[in-house]
Amino acid sequence: MGKVKKKGQAGQARNYMTRTQAVKKLQLSLPDFRKLCIWKGIYPREPRNRKKVSKSATASTTFYYTKDIQFLLHEPLLQKFREQKVLEKKISRALGRGDVSDAARLERNAARPDKTGKPRYTLNHVIRERYPTFADALRDLDDCLSMLFLFANLPATTAVPAKMIARCERLCLEFEHYLIASHSLRKSFLSIKGIYYQANIQGEDVLWLVPYKFNQRVVGDVDFRIMGTFVEFYMTLLGFVNYRLYTSIGLKYPPRFDQLKDEGGAELGAFSLEGANLATTETKAITNGEQGPDPKVQAEVDKLVQQLRDEEAAAAGETNGKAEESAPETANGDADEPNDTIDKFEPAAPGGDVLPQPAYSSSDPSQLFAGLTVFLSRETPRQPLEFLLRAFGCKRIGWDEVLGAGAFTHDESDPRITHQIVDRPVVRAAVAEDGDGEDNQTAQKLAANRRYPGRIYVQPQWVWDSVNDEELKSPEQYVPGAQLPPHLSPFVKPTQGQYDPTLPLEEQQTEAEAIEAALEDEGEAGSDEEVENDMDVAEDDEDEDDEEFDGVSEEEEEEDEEEEEDEDEEEETTLERQRELEAELTGKAVKREKVDPKTKAKLEAKKVLERRKKQEAEELERAKGMLSKKKRKLFEQMQYSNSKKSAEDAKLRQKRRKLEKEKAAAS
Amino acid sequence: MAVLKPLSGNPNAPQQYKQPSRKGKKAWRKNVDISEVQEGLEALNEQIIRGGVIAEKDSDELFTIDAHGDDEITKKLPKKLQKTLKSDEIIAQRSAIPAVSLRKRPGDSKTTDGLLPVKKQRKDYVTHRELVRIKKVADGHHEQTVEVVDAEYDPWAESEEKKPVPVPEEQLPFLPQPTKAKKPKTLEQQPISLAANGKSVPAVPKPKGGYSYNPTFNDYQERLIQESEKIIAAERKRIAELEAERAKLEAAARSAAEAEAAEARADLSEWEDDSEWEGFQSGGEELSVKAKRPRRKTPAERNRAKRRKDEERKAKHDAAMKRKQQQQERIKQIALEVAERERAIELAKQEMSDPSDEEVDEDNLQLRRRQLGKFKLPEKDLELVLPDELQDSLRLLKPEGNLLKDRYRSMLLRGKLEARRKIPFKKQAKTKVTEKWTYKDFTI
Repeated sequence: MGKVKKKGQAGQARNYMTRTQAVKKLQLSLPDFRKLCIWKGIYPREPRNRKKVSKSATASTTFYYTKDIQFLLHEPLLQKFREQKVLEKKISRALGRGDVSDAARLERNAARPDKTGKPRYTLNHVIRERYPTFADALRDLDDCLSMLFLFANLPATTAVPAKMIARCERLCLEFEHYLIASHSLRKSFLSIKGIYYQANIQGEDVLWLVPYKFNQRVVGDVDFRIMGTFVEFYMTLLGFVNYRLYTSIGLKYPPRFDQLKDEGGAELGAFSLEGANLATTETKAITNGEQGPDPKVQAEVDKLVQQLRDEEAAAAGETNGKAEESAPETANGDADEPNDTIDKFEPAAPGGDVLPQPAYSSSDPSQLFAGLTVFLSRETPRQPLEFLLRAFGCKRIGWDEVLGAGAFTHDESDPRITHQIVDRPVVRAAVAEDGDGEDNQTAQKLAANRRYPGRIYVQPQWVWDSVNDEELKSPEQYVPGAQLPPHLSPFVKPTQGQYDPTLPLEEQQTEAEAIEAALEDEGEAGSDEEVENDMDVAEDDEDEDDEEFDGVSEEEEEEDEEEEEDEDEEEETTLERQRELEAELTGKAVKREKVDPKTKAKLEAKKVLERRKKQEAEELERAKGMLSKKKRKLFEQMQYSNSKKSAEDAKLRQKRRKLEKEKAAAS
Repeated sequence: MAVLKPLSGNPNAPQQYKQPSRKGKKAWRKNVDISEVQEGLEALNEQIIRGGVIAEKDSDELFTIDAHGDDEITKKLPKKLQKTLKSDEIIAQRSAIPAVSLRKRPGDSKTTDGLLPVKKQRKDYVTHRELVRIKKVADGHHEQTVEVVDAEYDPWAESEEKKPVPVPEEQLPFLPQPTKAKKPKTLEQQPISLAANGKSVPAVPKPKGGYSYNPTFNDYQERLIQESEKIIAAERKRIAELEAERAKLEAAARSAAEAEAAEARADLSEWEDDSEWEGFQSGGEELSVKAKRPRRKTPAERNRAKRRKDEERKAKHDAAMKRKQQQQERIKQIALEVAERERAIELAKQEMSDPSDEEVDEDNLQLRRRQLGKFKLPEKDLELVLPDELQDSLRLLKPEGNLLKDRYRSMLLRGKLEARRKIPFKKQAKTKVTEKWTYKDFTI
């Protein structure tokens, strides 16, 4: 017989500890314990067998690893919590005695380490402990950034002190500055919840969600004490991450912060980045592009343009006197160049897009907006637009005075502006009756809904779509008042064969579909005699009614169609034979229906395709026979789901084809 | 009628007599304790020796009245003492100028010297707001417990630079080096997410097309249908619950009514009870039948059972051995089969798994049954712009959902916390009202 073991002395019973036991062991209050657990990354655990761990009957007991709690005993923060407990006791004693001033003094002094001689406590040591490598920290940045951006946008209340909010905002802006400087922002998405951003930092994808401005309701059922604890930790984390990121690209951290500008609502513009090296005290501040051009660029640019630029830059430099910009923009020097001259061009085509799109030629997506001068109208969200434009290379962004300080220009009529972002419906005034009225942009009356000639007006979505597609989208689709194309999530990976609204139809349709479509086209274009095609059209009409409501009926229809086709083929052959027989009897040549050679070829191709399909199906059937029953079931299931999906996609493509055809017919 | 008597007699509680019992040796005359009487007699003797019994003496003989003060004391004490009190002195003083009247008169305020009276600020004054804050601090609600300062170093670069500072060995070589607490392995483990499949949930799920502010029709429709189905299901469940509750109540009411009716009937037919008097008695004990007790097995039967069991065991063993033998013979084939099966499973996994399956679908995430802590995970907000509110302009977008709640829920979902609920009031102790018993203590 083995050694007798006592129950509860080894194994699970020793490995786990209830929360109450832990709190008692650490001599903390429950809120303090919660805080410490959050900071140190100690999470509740689930024992494999609850009965073996605790004797209590309650199912809601929370367990922790005993070793984790044991480790917490060595935590220097524990001392801090105990000191705090002492302070609380002292204060409450003073308050109980009625010594309010005494209590106030105690409380005041506790916050001043020079009075008490006790050092400030920070979470610095915890950061390294929880994230042994920088990559670990980056992996947890999703949560951190979402949290801090959220708190940066909250209104100050008693639960969320204004100091914390300001700090969050500052850290977030610093982080945004890094993204701008390093061009590591990749994607962004306007969702109904907020704006998603994705950046690639040192090979790690970081995704975070920023709320829309002035939208956050502070609700009661969220525990702010816990959220605040997380925020405190994440603030420390983001501080260190920022430090590391800044130093990695040779910048000094923290960047210089201009209080005055910040009070003016400059946000990103309130910071000016400096080089880490004292010898090269260049500032990489967010400049609004009003600076002398880089010598390298100058060499590349031809002299005439250079002259023009110098004049302009000098003028701008005088007015604002901004710091110099040392960022290399060699790649886009060429892209820059046309914009300045563009303003002098007359619009060539009526109503068309006047300017050549500079970034079509540029391959670097990080310099997407490099050459543009953008003006934001006052109804547009400035913060996200400014951040996105800057992150993708735009240097000159102006906005209405209402949106805060730090703009390149507040003057909407500035002739240097190439793009204006507008989010208001067009109020169409009476079109001027001159011959001049052909130009779309100048045609509108300038007074009410002012439009300046020689500038492209787009809606905000243009920026997001351009960023996600890594190319400047053609602004025609995004003119104010236009029906915008749907804003797609860049985070959804398109799968093979799936319908993708962004791609043209030709690229994604299957062979069979293409032939079918071509046949249909010809049928419509050609004579109305062909019965088959007429039937198709009729069916289409029916489809129009059904399509949006039930997909099932259509599938059935399609199946029917296929069957019909098979029957048709048979009929055709029998008919042909009969005709031949008749001809033999009468001694005449065989009458044939006149068929266009092109159509015939297509028909043949269709037949071939069908035959091939049939063959494939047969082969598959044969192969399926070889499989075991289990595998066959699995395979069938797979096939079923695939065919369902592809049918759906085909339906979508068909719909689009019809729409396109209608559009083509209309124009 | 009760006779009421005034409170009288000994106010103290009744006591037991000193001599509890008169039985036993203690009650014998020779054993009675007379030390008290002895002591009294001795004291009397002492008094007689000293000059008579004190109790019998006159008070004149015992006390004298001292009507004169001590002459010596006035000589000893300093002369200052003869001064009047300071307060008397002050009160005695009278100014030549009449006192300022304290009464306010309407004419007084009109003539001033033109200078505003300087208000002296109390140095240690604590505003009410401050006091409220301090009270909160005393309750453990600190605004910020740790200092968040600008980062001034890189914690991740430190590992190469920082070296353990060697302690000079000559000083105290016998002392053991201070050891740092080792981080337990359990600390590295990821928190347990609340997802049913046990996979970790991403902190920020990748948004699908349906969440776009300007979605494609299909994405939007899909989401709309999905969400509405969810809500309809929830509503159905609620209604079913209500119905069940109602049915239960109804059934309870019905059975109560039936019971009542039965009782009433029983009350009505009282003479049924009399039937026993008349000699009728429904049979109670006669009906019970004696259960047959199991018979003891004979040794022969036992042996037979044992033999049968042995045979069965042997047959089982033989079959197993045979199977094993067969398997050994075709071990290669089995290995092949196993490999094949594994491959098939792998293939099936690959084929069946959607790309959406890899990333956890936030919308219809299956939660596991057991939650962390006492409370359930709060429901997700409905994040859906209704069809009539759907705009394709960013300006007109009405943001949906609450990010604060969303973040909090995400924390809970990832198992970083246990769910908590705000308890706005502390549970008050229940008070019970009783009458005091002193109402009985009164006199007429």
